[in-house]
Amino acid sequence: MPIVVIGLSHHSSPVTVRERFAFAESRIPASLQSLRQAGIAEEAVILSTCNRVEIYAASLLDSTKACSALQEFLVTCHNYQEPLANEIYALGEPQSVHHLFRVACGLDSMVLGETEILGQLKKAYDLALQNGHTGSRLNKAFQRAFNVAKHVRTETAIQRGSVSVGSVAVELAEKIFTKLGDREVMIIGAGDTGEKTARALLSRGARSIVVTNRSYDRALALAQDLGGRAVAFEDWASEFANIDIIISSTSAPNYILDRARLEPLLKLRRNRPLLLIDIAVPRDIEPEVNFLENVFLYNIDDLQAIARDYLAQRQVEVARCEKIIHEKAAALLAPYAGPPNRPAVPQATVTDAE
Amino acid sequence: MLAVVLYGVSMIHSVFLWRKGFRRDTHVSYLLLLGAFGFHTVAMMMRGLRLNRCPVSNLYEATAFVMWTVVAAYLVVGLWSRLRFLGAFASPGLFALGVFALMGRLDLPQGTRPELPVFWTSLHAAFLALSYGAFALSSVAAVMYLSQERNLKLHRLKAFFALMPSIQRLEAVVNRLLVSGLVLLTLGLGLGAFELAHLKDPHAYAGDPKIIWSALVWALYLGLVIMRWRFAQGGRRFALGAVGAFVFVLLTFWGTNALSTLHNP
Repeated sequence: MPIVVIGLSHHSSPVTVRERFAFAESRIPASLQSLRQAGIAEEAVILSTCNRVEIYAASLLDSTKACSALQEFLVTCHNYQEPLANEIYALGEPQSVHHLFRVACGLDSMVLGETEILGQLKKAYDLALQNGHTGSRLNKAFQRAFNVAKHVRTETAIQRGSVSVGSVAVELAEKIFTKLGDREVMIIGAGDTGEKTARALLSRGARSIVVTNRSYDRALALAQDLGGRAVAFEDWASEFANIDIIISSTSAPNYILDRARLEPLLKLRRNRPLLLIDIAVPRDIEPEVNFLENVFLYNIDDLQAIARDYLAQRQVEVARCEKIIHEKAAALLAPYAGPPNRPAVPQATVTDAE
Repeated sequence: MLAVVLYGVSMIHSVFLWRKGFRRDTHVSYLLLLGAFGFHTVAMMMRGLRLNRCPVSNLYEATAFVMWTVVAAYLVVGLWSRLRFLGAFASPGLFALGVFALMGRLDLPQGTRPELPVFWTSLHAAFLALSYGAFALSSVAAVMYLSQERNLKLHRLKAFFALMPSIQRLEAVVNRLLVSGLVLLTLGLGLGAFELAHLKDPHAYAGDPKIIWSALVWALYLGLVIMRWRFAQGGRRFALGAVGAFVFVLLTFWGTNALSTLHNP
């Protein structure tokens, strides 16, 4: 009873197609039931996220027939009538197991190495398990996939580092401050990136947020949204003694904070470190302030460069991850060893997401 | 000797860690220093049992004891994984001190003062050695702080990839070790003063270089701690102060010890 997988992902299809095939969570148990009742699969798990829709199945049919039947089921189930080119991929053993492991490890994700997919995969598996749609083959394969993901996370650097401006800012703050829970954050300007960065800091426990903007109403609205408080733009310097992290993203044509203005304000801080994140273009903070003791200034280019380097670092780790996955998949499939079987589904387009 | 060899191996390992940017948590450094600590402890115990006193009377013994306290303190601090890299920063210094201590001329028989009880003399020396161990480790943590702070200032990726604690935590570690060292130093010097009072003519030693030097070191560290507590001195200047103070101790300890008639009866 081979394990097969068919599906669509951000690699193979645009969101306009993926959204047509998406399964609402409430619909999944019934769909799994239909699959089994139709005799297409003995065991099945449906994974439906914003970036992928996949059906993992253990079928009594041979891989080729199983994949054809699954594709037909997927198309019929969503009443999709437009022609399909290469949007749907189908994989038989051992590629299906490799694929499952790669997905679990975040190697097939849009953001390489991200961990959200592992949670989504666990949820999809739990849903199928609780409704009695899995058996020994898929149970073993999924549990092994979760183990492999954990192993890869601890043995490689695939999930290390941050690959977005917001998460780099959080990591930066964690390199400077002992605990984010004691930190007060100020946003100067109510821009989108500033808001996202502030949200990332709040999600990691930053104590409070102060928002200031030339338009006080916008500052107030954002402050309410973030659960912080707003201060008038003219008064932001008066808050300085308590602030640890400043995210500046105004559209001011000149520096709003320069060395001459910052130097006297630092005396109020009693040598506590100050992290300045300037994501405005043109820049809001004079680069010279980085020469002041206990002041750490990063601009948007600095943050993006770090995110890029982290991503490059992750790319380097891919080969190590693939080796682990290959070994673990071989170990899992060894008891069922037979000639490798890659399906060729005549009426469907078969592509390899890898 | 075996302990010094292991300190050397640990130093070589530190070079690899440094070149790789301290990217991977490693137990190797910790285990090497743990092994060295084992040999070091056995050697000191054997010597102590043979002499029937705490082995801290001559320069060789004092150096070995200070090294032992540095490693002991590191092994405790290193239980926190993020602080484990302190070992990589400490190993070169430990190896250098070990080689220095093994030089034959340091291990000379030391005159004793029979009028002073061995227990109190040993305790005085042990407290002082423990305090210098704490100061040594604080300077190592301060070097780590300076390195990480510089990398963060210059936006070097090393700062992000290195598995090091935040600079604020490093600053707190430096401070705690300095305070611990100062308390131990105060106790050690207090015991020394107590013993001095039991000598026949204590005023004869008022100008003893070691006494003047000890008071100076005590004032230096007290100044650092007060600057931190009273004026919230932190950051780079505080770290430089911790390094500078210990460099001063390191460079002058041996000389003042040799010049002291009180300590060389």
